[in-house]
Amino acid sequence: MKLQRVTMRNFMPYKGEVRIDFPQDEFRNVMLVFGDNMRGKTSLLNALRWGFYGRALGRHSMPIPLHEMANKDAASEGDWTFEVHITFEANGHSYDLRRRAEKRAAVSTPQRPEDFVQQVYLRKDGMAVQGDLVDAEINQIAPQQVSRFFLFDGELLQEYETLLIEGSDQGRQIRDAIEQVLGVPALIQGRDELATVLRAARKTQQQDLQRVAGLETHAKRQAELTARQDVLDSDLRKLVEQVERVHGDVAVLSDEIDRSQGVLAAKAKLDGHRERQKDIEAYRDKKRMERLDLLGQSWRDVLELKVSVRRDQLERDRRRLTEEMGNQAGVKVQIRQLQDLLKTNECPTCGQAMHDDRRTAIGAQLGRLQAELEQHTDKSAALQSVSAQIEALSKIRGVNVRDQLAQANRDLQAHEIELTRIENEIARLEDEILGYDTAELARKRQLRDAKLHEEGRLQKDIADRRSELGKLRDDLALLQRTIEGLSQARSQKSTVRAAICGEMESVFSQSIERLRDRLRKTVEERATAAFREMTTQKAYRGLEINQSYGLSILDELNQKVAVRSAGAEQVVALSLIDGLNRTGRAAGPVVMDTPFGRLDLCHRDNILSYLPRVTSQFVLLVHSGEIRRDIDLSSIAPRIGAVYQIKEITPRHSVIERETL
Amino acid sequence: MRVSEPTMIGLSERSHAKLKRLKEDGHFREMADAYRFGIALALAQSVDPPEISAGTVFSVATIDPDQSLKNAIQMLMGDKLHGLPVYRMAERLADWGVQELAAQADKGDIDFVTIFDQLKAASTA
Repeated sequence: MKLQRVTMRNFMPYKGEVRIDFPQDEFRNVMLVFGDNMRGKTSLLNALRWGFYGRALGRHSMPIPLHEMANKDAASEGDWTFEVHITFEANGHSYDLRRRAEKRAAVSTPQRPEDFVQQVYLRKDGMAVQGDLVDAEINQIAPQQVSRFFLFDGELLQEYETLLIEGSDQGRQIRDAIEQVLGVPALIQGRDELATVLRAARKTQQQDLQRVAGLETHAKRQAELTARQDVLDSDLRKLVEQVERVHGDVAVLSDEIDRSQGVLAAKAKLDGHRERQKDIEAYRDKKRMERLDLLGQSWRDVLELKVSVRRDQLERDRRRLTEEMGNQAGVKVQIRQLQDLLKTNECPTCGQAMHDDRRTAIGAQLGRLQAELEQHTDKSAALQSVSAQIEALSKIRGVNVRDQLAQANRDLQAHEIELTRIENEIARLEDEILGYDTAELARKRQLRDAKLHEEGRLQKDIADRRSELGKLRDDLALLQRTIEGLSQARSQKSTVRAAICGEMESVFSQSIERLRDRLRKTVEERATAAFREMTTQKAYRGLEINQSYGLSILDELNQKVAVRSAGAEQVVALSLIDGLNRTGRAAGPVVMDTPFGRLDLCHRDNILSYLPRVTSQFVLLVHSGEIRRDIDLSSIAPRIGAVYQIKEITPRHSVIERETL
Repeated sequence: MRVSEPTMIGLSERSHAKLKRLKEDGHFREMADAYRFGIALALAQSVDPPEISAGTVFSVATIDPDQSLKNAIQMLMGDKLHGLPVYRMAERLADWGVQELAAQADKGDIDFVTIFDQLKAASTA
């Protein structure tokens, strides 16, 4: 089977007409559809589900009602009609499948599935297929029971991972689903129908035996056992219906609680943010106070900028005055020395009398110096004044407020930014938990716990009834053999009929067990083959499926591996799904929605290289966190035949655009 | 001639209102801080402030306990006092400075770091 094209109109977030062409090349058979969460990846998967089988699935595989499938924008404009059109080929035939839902004429605003009329048209090689044969035709190509394995989402993967947990409830439920897929119910149904025929045959037998003298006791005993069997069968049917109802209630409540838990988590986050907000505000207030303290002293820094210029000028004046006063003192000493020379009239070194011309020169020099000294004024007063000014200005010293202010401003700004971010987050979280009621959550939790308890009790009752029915069947078979041993009874036609029906029922019962074993073996082999291709631990021998469909990994010594990583569990689940898919139908396309949650790059590479080889088309619906298109796709780049990107126009309107890698 | 200095100083009524707002808006912790900053700012910018009619707001001892401001004004503006008491000049300087700060505050926040940088650049030019 190969998908050729899907066209959606007003289906979920896809307003108007959106078309996707699937790759047709046998080698380039990988198609990637990128889209962030809430953009419409699962809706695309649901378009295929609804197109083929008339049902779309939400969380916990709960059906999405028809009135929720119409595009909200289009509906608000009055257009409630939505449609999915799929073209594909299978077994050499071309198919054209169109499913359409439209609002009933008398309904103004649809609020329930009954408000729609749903129509499906299938053409095979251009010829219309009769309406009541459409489902049968589709089921021959892509059986609905197997569809969860070739149109599957990440949630299914998680569901199947629980098969690795010994004795999990999930395992029992999934076993039923698996058997359903593998065709066991057909035999079970055959056996059950034969049991009904057998019961009718025994009733006729009882009537006949009552008329035969000496066999009344056997007839009476058989009547008692058959009546008891009827009661138990009826009980069992009611219990099964009840447990299914309770299971559905649990799923709905769990969903609601999960959503509420999201709100509780938001509340915890909100409280944390409020604490942080208080801390930041306290820090900000402290920093603001420190900043104001700094500003209280900052006038000194402002003054110092000006004062320092004046002070430098005064310092220079003081140096000049000091120098001038030093020079003055030197002149005075020289004058005194020259006056002494003229007075003594002898050389201070050799003691000889001075010549007249020498005395004349000294006199002239003395006169010059005295004239110079007279020109000097007294600088000491000026020096004192300058020093006093310097002293006064020295008291005005800054404390480098500028740098401290700049640092405080940076700190404050950083905290203001964080505060704004937190305030925004608080507002968002407050909106998120608006109208939240803790009492209601507590009530739902209690209710779910009670329902879970009830489900457990019902399961036990069902098991008890089945066990009792088994015993009853054995008793009836024994009684039947006893009756058959009696010559008067043996000659009765009704006894012969009952014996044949009993034999046939026994054949069907044994066949069921044989089929189970054989299918389990087939699935195990195929899952093992897939596992060996996809696991990065090449020493593992494979997988083992036990009687209750629990899964184990076997190591190189054929021992069960006790500790498994989350990634390994995901690969095991994928392997099982692949095994089931390939046991349940011929090779066909596989569409996977968000399958790579916890897988490392090596596992991802293995899966990406394996699955395109065993499928006719491999379609991956992924978000950018799962696969980085520029890095993670190198190993399958040559196999990629088409790439699409889901883009959001509004939260209720997405489009899909073809792209290149 | 010895000039008699006032013991109380202030600023014009208009500037007084602005001074109050500088405190109320959180630009300064105390009005006295803004008053001193105003004087320093006017001195640093070599402003020759106009006469004002000042009321009394602060005691001189509160504003200038160690007479740093008085000394600075004397040193930097001695030639412009012309017999005016130093603290009367301080009032005029404060009045001008407070108005300048209030004008900046009106535009948003007072960017003190930039004020410092501009004054430093001017003093080294």
